[in-house]
Amino acid sequence: MSTDRSERPLVRVDDLQKYFWEQDSILDRLLGDEPVPVRAVDGVSFEIREGETLGLVGESGCGKSTTGETLLRLQEPTDGQVEFDGDNVYDLSGSELTDFRREAQVVFQDPFSSLDPRMTVGETVQQPLDVHEIGTDDERRERVRDLLERVGLSADQLDRYPHEFSGGQRQRIGIARALALEPEFIVLDEPTSALDVSVQAQVLNLLDDLQAEFDLTYLLISHDLSVIRHVCDRVAVMYLGEIVEIGPVQELFDDPKHPYTQALLESVPRASTDERDRDRETLAGDVPSPRDPPSGCRFRTRCPQVISPEELEIDQETYRELMTLRERVERRDISLETVGDEDQFDLDDGTVPDEDVPAFVEALRNRLLDTDLPAAHEEIVERALAELARGNWDEAAAQLREEYESVCERQNPDLGNGGHPAACHLYGEAADRHEGTEPLQ
Amino acid sequence: MISERVKSNLKQTFSESLLPKLGLLLLVSIVFMAIFAPLLATHDPTRTGHYDEQGAEYPPLGHEYTTQTPHEGDIVEITVEPTTEHVLGTNNVGQDVYSRFLYGARVSLLVGILGTSMALAIGVPVGLVAGYYGGRVDDGLMRIADTMLAFPALVLALALIGVFGESPVMVPDPIVMAGLADGMPESIPIPGTVTIVVALVTWVWFARVARGEALSIRNEEYVKAARSFGTSNKTILLKHVLPNSLTPIIVLATIQVAVIILLEASLAYLGFSGTTLSWGYEIERGQDVLRTRPWVSMFPGIGIVLAVISVNLLGDWFRDALDPNIEGEGR
Amino acid sequence: MTEDILQVRGLSTRFFTQEGQVNAVSDLDLTIERGEVFGIVGESGSGKSVTARSIMDLIEPPGEITEGEIRYRNADFAETVGDDHPGAVDGEFVNLLELPPAIRQSLRGTSFSMIFQDPESSFNPTLTVGEQLAEAVEVQRRASARPRSTRARTESEEYSLGSLMLSTVLPSKKYVSDESRERAIELLELVGIPDPVERADEYPHEYSGGMLQRAMIAQALAGEPDILVADEPTTALDVTIQAQVLDLLDDLQKETGMTILLITHNLGVIARMCDRVGVMYAGEIVERGSLTDTFDEHVHPYTEGLLGSVPDLEGANRRLQPIPGNVPTLLDHEMEDRCHFADRCPKAMEDCLDHPPEFDADERGDHEVRCVLAERDYDEGRALPPDYFDETERTAADKHADPDRTEEDVQPERTQSPVEDSGGGGL
Repeated sequence: MSTDRSERPLVRVDDLQKYFWEQDSILDRLLGDEPVPVRAVDGVSFEIREGETLGLVGESGCGKSTTGETLLRLQEPTDGQVEFDGDNVYDLSGSELTDFRREAQVVFQDPFSSLDPRMTVGETVQQPLDVHEIGTDDERRERVRDLLERVGLSADQLDRYPHEFSGGQRQRIGIARALALEPEFIVLDEPTSALDVSVQAQVLNLLDDLQAEFDLTYLLISHDLSVIRHVCDRVAVMYLGEIVEIGPVQELFDDPKHPYTQALLESVPRASTDERDRDRETLAGDVPSPRDPPSGCRFRTRCPQVISPEELEIDQETYRELMTLRERVERRDISLETVGDEDQFDLDDGTVPDEDVPAFVEALRNRLLDTDLPAAHEEIVERALAELARGNWDEAAAQLREEYESVCERQNPDLGNGGHPAACHLYGEAADRHEGTEPLQ
Repeated sequence: MISERVKSNLKQTFSESLLPKLGLLLLVSIVFMAIFAPLLATHDPTRTGHYDEQGAEYPPLGHEYTTQTPHEGDIVEITVEPTTEHVLGTNNVGQDVYSRFLYGARVSLLVGILGTSMALAIGVPVGLVAGYYGGRVDDGLMRIADTMLAFPALVLALALIGVFGESPVMVPDPIVMAGLADGMPESIPIPGTVTIVVALVTWVWFARVARGEALSIRNEEYVKAARSFGTSNKTILLKHVLPNSLTPIIVLATIQVAVIILLEASLAYLGFSGTTLSWGYEIERGQDVLRTRPWVSMFPGIGIVLAVISVNLLGDWFRDALDPNIEGEGR
Repeated sequence: MTEDILQVRGLSTRFFTQEGQVNAVSDLDLTIERGEVFGIVGESGSGKSVTARSIMDLIEPPGEITEGEIRYRNADFAETVGDDHPGAVDGEFVNLLELPPAIRQSLRGTSFSMIFQDPESSFNPTLTVGEQLAEAVEVQRRASARPRSTRARTESEEYSLGSLMLSTVLPSKKYVSDESRERAIELLELVGIPDPVERADEYPHEYSGGMLQRAMIAQALAGEPDILVADEPTTALDVTIQAQVLDLLDDLQKETGMTILLITHNLGVIARMCDRVGVMYAGEIVERGSLTDTFDEHVHPYTEGLLGSVPDLEGANRRLQPIPGNVPTLLDHEMEDRCHFADRCPKAMEDCLDHPPEFDADERGDHEVRCVLAERDYDEGRALPPDYFDETERTAADKHADPDRTEEDVQPERTQSPVEDSGGGGL
């Protein structure tokens, strides 16, 4: 209930970056290849206020878990900083770092790998107390019993090993361990995604109770929008290492601004009988590789509302198709050998003989594009494809780029400020410039 | 350290299959022979056949003369075929093959166990540290290990022995010291350099396995959790990484005992052992008379085969029982 | 006018493990109509996957189908096998469990196909996707070349080492024909893979998870099966990709009119896809009926609990209503002859100590429930005391070191917790 509490941020994340480099082999070094980083987290900023639950939602590979781990300094960041209670986490050392390790805890997703299989439950939960040398041995043991009871296990199970427990019970043990040091802040990294729904509900309710009882601040990382909706006060939506939208849960779910958030919400199948008749638009394509993210807005390759250049008057579907065509030309991802009927075109050195070019372009066009284009665009496309026939990939790409380049690929939209910002040109300056072209769907 | 589940798996695999039983039976017999060698031996294994002052009384049967008529007290090459006195016969110099077989088991097992322990003591810490810390530490340590691997084990061993000599270590025999077995040697020689050499050429395997385990365990969420509440790296290594990587290391250790027994036998066969009380050395000695008197080489040969098989069977048993994929629970 | 295409009667599948006999599926009845999408929903360990595998004849030791009939309607097939196996044929229906394994196996691909949760492990990483698809097509093509003969179905010219070596040396001897290759590309196009010509020559690792799932669907469609069994087809996928795959299945079903048996734990997926639903618990279907029957007019408290556990995407931020406790172990010696849900059920009565048969929940006869509440209303006077199961269960739990009962122990405490009020509006 963030509204009742202070608005003071407990955690402030500022332009956090975490890149991973593949282990560069000796061969790479000899060849002088620049290692290409995986941009798992690429400049995210947000605040977590005291006592609230901030949700971090996104699909797999969007960098949400890496954000959580880097924020706790379980991994060193590539750049950026995280302030916890006013101190930069990455500058801490000695007793300050020890204090931070007491105040911030984590609960992991996998109830099987998050507990050491060779430690009894009692040892596992007692571990943090041992590390921080809290109380006497007897006091520690007493505290472990209390903790186990608090999370809904019985204290006489403390000599058992993790494999003797079910997934939900193991998750409770992990929660007890996180609570042992009476932290202020807990990162919940997909705490229920490995659990059955009925058990998930038990654990969510438990987390709810514990937050109220111990005044905890949560960062809940999840891919499950309904869990986020149920538990969080505010939500940040991540896509390919960036936050695309952040806002109060109610607002964000009722009035999603970013096209990605909208698509994400539409994609979730509802457990109700009118689900089949629900109007929904499915997002096309796959998430691009974080090694080579798209220029400009990272969502533009799948976005159903890409802003087309002002002077073009074509609908979104056609524009999307032209963009896909262009992208394939840029990636040289069209096999010219298979165009037309068998051996119709003679592609000896990657070019088509001049006399065959029109027929070749015709065949290629029909294979690549399903829809009819307005005449002007038909001409542009055919001109570009003719370049392909002559083997001039770069020229073809340049021609298409000139005609169809969108603001979404030139410029990465900023997240901006305010209570519910979204990183999308539809809401930024670009939208003002293109007011005439309302996004067509 | 070993959980109930592992124990029950060990039991179950043991009861289900014949091979572990066979392996255990063999190994227990060999260990028994090795420990009680002074009591089980019928002759002093180091005593050669010779004429004593009373004349040709020893050996009593089937003696042979390879040179001219011996003089009193001369050592002659005498080989006796198996008799009631020498149940497995005697070797070229008239030593009792049966007694030497028992003592040879001592040397083989001692070198195997000592060598493996030393290899463990070097390899496991190196591997765990390399795998857990990664980066430069890993690069540095593993480069050293790879360099070790690049040398053929036997050649490296020969080179080291060439440099340091054989330096046999005399180990006193507690049974003889206690006066339970008169007439047996008071101490037996253990090949010192060989033991160190086999450890030096095999520790790399432990390092590699330990590193692999540490590499995967350091990414387990329980290690991340331990780090999140400030556990020191040393504590994590000792409390989480080491216990959880023990399983494959134990399996490897059993198999390495067999490898080291073979390596020691090979070195002894080549004459670099520093002790003559070794199965490998005996095989070499019998080689010249293999056609006429096969027992001289045959029995130590059988000893090596049985020891290696028994240890390997036990290794397989551990592997099957500890492999999580074969576990009934699947968790 | 619909007709049944598959009738499962009294199916029991048991696993004989070290810990004892596991009753994964018990006395299960199931009727699937031609052209419908039938969903089976349940939690992990409820037996839903085993049911699918039993139908597909994919149960491996220590598992075994111990009882029951799986009746598949196919007039041609009935005629074909009628001569050799008259006992298995009943009109147009063939009881698959009466057939020898070789003939059952021949139905895979042409009559039944299956798609799995994990597409990555379903493809050979060393062959291109197109090649693997073409091979699937080729197998079906050869099998259907002489459909009348069961011999042809069972003894097609599979790979032998010799033919494999020949095919590497002589391209003309390749197992896969050009027509099969073309069909493979058609299939890739059918499942919505863009640029199928290029994609066919790529290896599985070059595909994303969603594309591989599509390719697996293409493979399953190679033999134009009557029934597609989809076992958690979208569980490993992200929601946006899940939506794509569900759309695809929906479209394919409408286009080809095939029958889909969809196994999932996700109630949203069920609602999105299915005409009729079976809710499984502890190896039994505890409630079945149309989507409306199970979602809106459900009778069984388990169905109710399952639906109550799902956090809502829309609407108020209510507190979740979890089902206390855990899914039972299904070990034969621990299962008593009672309603298996009674120990977790908020409405357990004395009547629940007898194992309930399937009751009709309404007059139409299509909505059946394994719960006495279908016959009589909940009567507090007959309710079991809340700690009724604690005693017996505790001993079992201690014996098996599976302290499940504690979940229920804390339940009363939690419902009285003062947090309930303050936390009612969410965290």
